[in-house]
Amino acid sequence: MSGIQIQIQSRSTGEFVDASLLDGMAAQDLLLVEREWLAERSLVAQELLRAGVERAKWPQSLHWNWSKKAPQLMLLESTGFGVVCESLWQGVMLTKTASYFARLGSDKGKPLVYVDFLEIAPWNWVIPEIGRDGRYRMIGSTLFWRAVQQSEEEGFHGRVGLHALPQSESFYEKGCGMTPLGRDATKQNLLYFELSREQAQRHLQKGGDA
Amino acid sequence: MTNNKTNGPDREWLLKMAEFEDSCRSISAGGMAADLGLLPATQSGPHRVFGRLIEFARRKKSLSVEQLAERAQVDLADIVDIEMNEMAAPDVRTVFQLATVLDLPSARLMEVAGLASPRPEVSSAALKFAARSEPTAKLSRDERDALEEFVKVLVETSDKG
Repeated sequence: MSGIQIQIQSRSTGEFVDASLLDGMAAQDLLLVEREWLAERSLVAQELLRAGVERAKWPQSLHWNWSKKAPQLMLLESTGFGVVCESLWQGVMLTKTASYFARLGSDKGKPLVYVDFLEIAPWNWVIPEIGRDGRYRMIGSTLFWRAVQQSEEEGFHGRVGLHALPQSESFYEKGCGMTPLGRDATKQNLLYFELSREQAQRHLQKGGDA
Repeated sequence: MTNNKTNGPDREWLLKMAEFEDSCRSISAGGMAADLGLLPATQSGPHRVFGRLIEFARRKKSLSVEQLAERAQVDLADIVDIEMNEMAAPDVRTVFQLATVLDLPSARLMEVAGLASPRPEVSSAALKFAARSEPTAKLSRDERDALEEFVKVLVETSDKG
């Protein structure tokens, strides 16, 4: 895998630490990441259960178990990116570039990068109810930034589409400046978001919904 | 837009974005998870009934999720998945182990879990159960009645073979 050097911020010290943003993961590599994340997911579930935290506040990806989907993952044609720090996968993103087209604005019908999967390691989750502050921040933002870069590299002018989990909707709308384009019945009613070429430029220059 | 020290986004941009990250509970994108059935379903279905049945039967026995996982020798993550994720697809061993610990007829529980074709009586009882049950911390009298009625049908149809 190739990659670039980046920095992410430690939540405990506030310091920026070196990390790598790697290219070249395949969908099935998610099984390796899952193995690394599984024990922590289980710990989070136990802490939530013991603390009696209402389920609406549980991370909506808590029960994702990719190992059970291994045969399907082998068939997926995605390219992936991961953030590695302290020799651990801190976050992963899988994207697709074929057969996904913009629904938004003047670029309607033109190809875009579709973010099929984006997730951060469970030790980076912030769950105040069980005193979890998260180890590192900026991982999701960095991965999304990479999706926009990939879109530029592919000649898609920064166009990106994705389906957000309900708990993530405001991040993509307000943080990334994407436009919500309605719930998608083919994706279990997740809200579909798109970043136009103009929004991509604004996002890269200023960040947020500026 | 890139940092002098790295090839990634610059610090000022990252700090601004981190504020948005912190204001949300998650930053997950889930298209692939939706395709692979890893998200909770929004409609009632057989798996919803199965998860609810397991949750109620567990609570009736005053077992925590951890205790049930331990007694059934099933991964804790699998029990959480079954109870939380209406699209969970438990395997035969897991369903059998749960049936044993929760005193439910295993063959009928396979039907409720979607691992065997359900008989009409089971489907009908499952629908009634789904309509009457809501997830709360303690079983209400009505929920207890709903659970007992459903289990009665499972046991009776089990006796018929």
